Amino acid sequence: MSDLGKKLASIAFDELGADYLLAMREEHGNVAPVMLARGQDPGEIRLDVPYQLVNILSNIYPWLKDGKVAVVTRRCDEKALEEFFKRELFDPRRILKIGLACSKEQVAKCRCSDPVPAKTHIGEPQKAMEKDELSEKLMAMPPEERLRFWAYQFKKCNKCFACTLTCPVCFCDECILEEKTFVPEPGIPPGMSFHLIRAYHLADKCIECGECERSCPAEIPLLTLRKLLAKDVKEIFGFAPGDRKTVSPLLTVLEEGCNEC
Amino acid sequence: MSDFNPTILAFCCNWCSYAGADLAGVSRLQMPPNVHVVRVMCSASVKGEYILKAISQGVDGVLVLGCHIGDCHYMTGNHRTAKRIPVVQKLLKDVGFDERRVRLDWVSAAEGEKFQRVITEFVEEIKGLGPNPVREVMS
Ligand code: SF4
Ligand code: SF4
Ligand code: FES
Repeated sequence: MSDLGKKLASIAFDELGADYLLAMREEHGNVAPVMLARGQDPGEIRLDVPYQLVNILSNIYPWLKDGKVAVVTRRCDEKALEEFFKRELFDPRRILKIGLACSKEQVAKCRCSDPVPAKTHIGEPQKAMEKDELSEKLMAMPPEERLRFWAYQFKKCNKCFACTLTCPVCFCDECILEEKTFVPEPGIPPGMSFHLIRAYHLADKCIECGECERSCPAEIPLLTLRKLLAKDVKEIFGFAPGDRKTVSPLLTVLEEGCNEC
Repeated sequence: MSDFNPTILAFCCNWCSYAGADLAGVSRLQMPPNVHVVRVMCSASVKGEYILKAISQGVDGVLVLGCHIGDCHYMTGNHRTAKRIPVVQKLLKDVGFDERRVRLDWVSAAEGEKFQRVITEFVEEIKGLGPNPVREVMS
């Protein structure tokens, strides 16, 4: 048993009183999610491989009749969990969080503006990144050039759906991106509506985990697109996803005395 | 670009704006012929997805017209619309479209003249913006 595995198991089973532990583990040179029961050898636990464990949890959850699961949660995972709790998809009493503060390198890779979990069990809290360089560069460009940039990016898409499959907050049972009403192009690339509709769908949900960008084989800067829209939503409504107590502004009525009326 | 004839979609809600369009029609108000009116039950039934698809497919401009705030047949349907459209506009801007290609306005059943004005102004504005660049950049 590695030291890290031992430490994690002790937090999950002794400190938090969990029945299961969900984490990332290395086996035969591959790193993948693993669900461990109390007493099992955790093996080579890896905390440096970012992955949406909340997404994995959402797949297992319907089959988990009882017991509590401890999940390694970075700040973005924590926000993803909040979105699940908000929709009553998980029982908050059955999910225990092992707070992981992301490394400086990870924060830089995600251009993350919110990297520290509510309670840190492992890792050293790092400073947030103020800005995403690509976002700034794009918004400083003339619009035509920006459109060409995104068109170039979108044309690389091979419609593998990795971005939707790995996204923790893609909640719909039936994906409208698979409907030709909305994405009419029968072949590859899927055209602009695929990307715009996906971005729009996530406008009030995306917790900026960056999983879509990491999993995109075409290396489309999807996280930057999410960040751009997240900034707008914040500016218009003062809203950011990731808190079970707040309601999406797209689902509520206008305030009294608003100037639209 | 004087010979540019834009293609414009106007979503009109059944209870106010479509009736407003009708009134404009029976009053024989002159309007540019570039607008395809799509009748919907409420402005809130215009999903952001419809607008994004239209722009992605090369439509030059999208108008969403509904009842004035407080007058929606479904009480607060148009509140949703009012919140949704700015998000669609910002997203379009973020990828490099001109956000003026999408416009939201309120037209009541009695406002045939307003309907005429909104349509005319919008067509002029889109003419000024030129053709939707999406086809060219995505080809
Ligand atoms: S960053 Fe991407 S994968 Fe993560 S929540 Fe947002 S859209 Fe989904
Ligand atoms: S992951 Fe990338 S290539 Fe695959 S569908 Fe999404 S955007 Fe397209
Ligand atoms: S019915 Fe006209 S906006 Fe709702």
